[in-house]
Amino acid sequence: MPIAAILALTELIAHSTAGTMFELVSALNSGAELLKQHTSNPISLSAGCDLFVAFVTTFAHESKSFFDLKRELVRQGQLYVKEASTSRSKIASLLLDFIPDDSVILTHSHSRVVTHALLHAHKQGNKRFSVYVTEARPLGLGLKTYQILIDAGIPCTVILDSAVAYAIGKVDLVLVGSEAVVESGGLVNAVGSYQMALIAKAANVPFYALAESYKFYRMFPLSQYDLPTHNDEILSLPTSLSSIRKPAMMSENPQLTMSDDQVNKNPGVDYTKPDLITLVFSDIGILTPDGVSLYLVGMFAG
Amino acid sequence: MVSSYSIGGQNVVDQFASVLKRRQVVGARLTALQTVHVLRQVISLSEFSTIEEAVEILKIVGQQLQQVQPKGRIEHTVGNVVLKIIHVLKEEHLSNSTSRPSQSFSLANFVLMGQPRRQHRTVIKILGPSSKSEDNQITEHNGFGGFLKPVIIDAIQDVQYELEAVYENVAKNARDHIHSDEIILTIGASRTVETFLKSAGHHRKFTVIVSETSPSNSGHSMARSLSSAGISTFLVPDSSIYAMMSRVNKVVLGAHAILANGGFFATSGSTLVAMAARAHSTPVVVCAGQFKFTPKWTIYRNHGTLDFGDPSQVLGFQEKKFNDNVDIVNPTFDYVGPELVDAFITNDGDHPPSSVYRLIKESYGDMEL
Repeated sequence: MPIAAILALTELIAHSTAGTMFELVSALNSGAELLKQHTSNPISLSAGCDLFVAFVTTFAHESKSFFDLKRELVRQGQLYVKEASTSRSKIASLLLDFIPDDSVILTHSHSRVVTHALLHAHKQGNKRFSVYVTEARPLGLGLKTYQILIDAGIPCTVILDSAVAYAIGKVDLVLVGSEAVVESGGLVNAVGSYQMALIAKAANVPFYALAESYKFYRMFPLSQYDLPTHNDEILSLPTSLSSIRKPAMMSENPQLTMSDDQVNKNPGVDYTKPDLITLVFSDIGILTPDGVSLYLVGMFAG
Repeated sequence: MVSSYSIGGQNVVDQFASVLKRRQVVGARLTALQTVHVLRQVISLSEFSTIEEAVEILKIVGQQLQQVQPKGRIEHTVGNVVLKIIHVLKEEHLSNSTSRPSQSFSLANFVLMGQPRRQHRTVIKILGPSSKSEDNQITEHNGFGGFLKPVIIDAIQDVQYELEAVYENVAKNARDHIHSDEIILTIGASRTVETFLKSAGHHRKFTVIVSETSPSNSGHSMARSLSSAGISTFLVPDSSIYAMMSRVNKVVLGAHAILANGGFFATSGSTLVAMAARAHSTPVVVCAGQFKFTPKWTIYRNHGTLDFGDPSQVLGFQEKKFNDNVDIVNPTFDYVGPELVDAFITNDGDHPPSSVYRLIKESYGDMEL
């Protein structure tokens, strides 16, 4: 998502008629705003946009004209997007030493970084391990991870989201991907990650977050409800019960799957506190959660 | 540019390699000093024309010395010293092969800018023309690297001075860490800890409890040395560590090698001490020179790194009836996790375990041998 945003903003520069840096940056900012409005989960998108805009404003160049500068920026943006795929490989090679042979790994939902790292460890690292992946309701993306790992020959079992605590006794390490890594060093990821982190901490199991550097986002949430994805609808309790109450006689075949309305009252992402995360693996290296804010400050305030 | 260099002093390297293989040099600092000496000889006898070639030479020698060591018991300071020298050379003279493309600033580099560095490379890159002429100057004098050798030997000399001054620098602020009438607990016979405590002893009156550290009983020599310096010393068996801990104000430990995650290897028994201290909420500090910082994260998983020593120290060979039925294990080192340590007191300041990986990045760059 952040890469798509950077690509979109690069396109914007290519088509822009701005004549000064100020005009260009305002055009980029309004472009970013437009993108953010059209998605329910703007966090990773914002991370990519902010990174690109910060880069544009501090870009030291030798261009002779503004037109040349714009061309250079477009080139830089496209180059970065092309190289972005290498960041997953870098993370995979950093992670290799941390996967012990014959270990049991727990992961959540579907993350391309995590599956890339696991496949790398299996093929190039010659490591033997097995994986538990949570179903990750309501989207059920865990099944996607399951299929990819099984196809590669890695033993994998899907577990219920509610069975994480039951399973943690058999787990050696927990790996999750990320939507964004925030300034506090905490993690924003698919809902269920925070739960998994709490359980891992209680069971003394290391919890590793994998995040490419373009997912570092300058936000400092103090609680779940500070996330931009949170709104009044989420976790709202019904105000008038008369409209949804059904006469007792009628509930012959109770509906045992959540309706769409009920699903919409649930969050899509949650925030994992930094003290629950053991290490953050990124293409810029292995960081402790508090090390992340150093980078963010360096990038955006330096 | 044809890069042809030759590595001189191979016999010096081979000699040192066999010394390492046979474990004839014991002690992190001694090994580091000898490595510096060997590298200095290698550089003065080698032929090269650029800094990059010199770095290549150092890297090759470093890899040779590391590979020749027995797998479980590697003296990490050998690799650390090589990495440090290479990093110093790179930082001071900016290896030009990677920094001269027409784009000196890219989005990927922009993210890396957040990385802590001693110098801001991007600033120097922007001053494009001047740095280029400097590079030309360095490469013009090719041939036998006549212009370069003093520069490199200077860098090696700096590392050597730092190593020689480790004990004094660690002990510099000892009096700020230890207060009067405190009871300190230590284990083993680390020279760094000894100097630290003696230095504090000049200014403060305090008591030290030294744990015997069986089966090597290195605690005995530590206790003797401290008491001869006029410090009130108690020598206790290892079994009484937990019992004494409630009366202890601080624990001071030495380290053999410090890993990037903030954990470290120390003399056997240190984990006991650290855990007992954690149970009593007693602060644990580790005195060590920064040359002991190694960029590895997970080697503690390998059981062999505990370096199993001579079993006859534990149970002599005369005890014939035990020899067949009992498997005697005598690990030299313990691994202590970062969660058990409060601070590392080094020759370059005091640092919490969570900053160790950052210090390693600053000292060695991103290199690995």
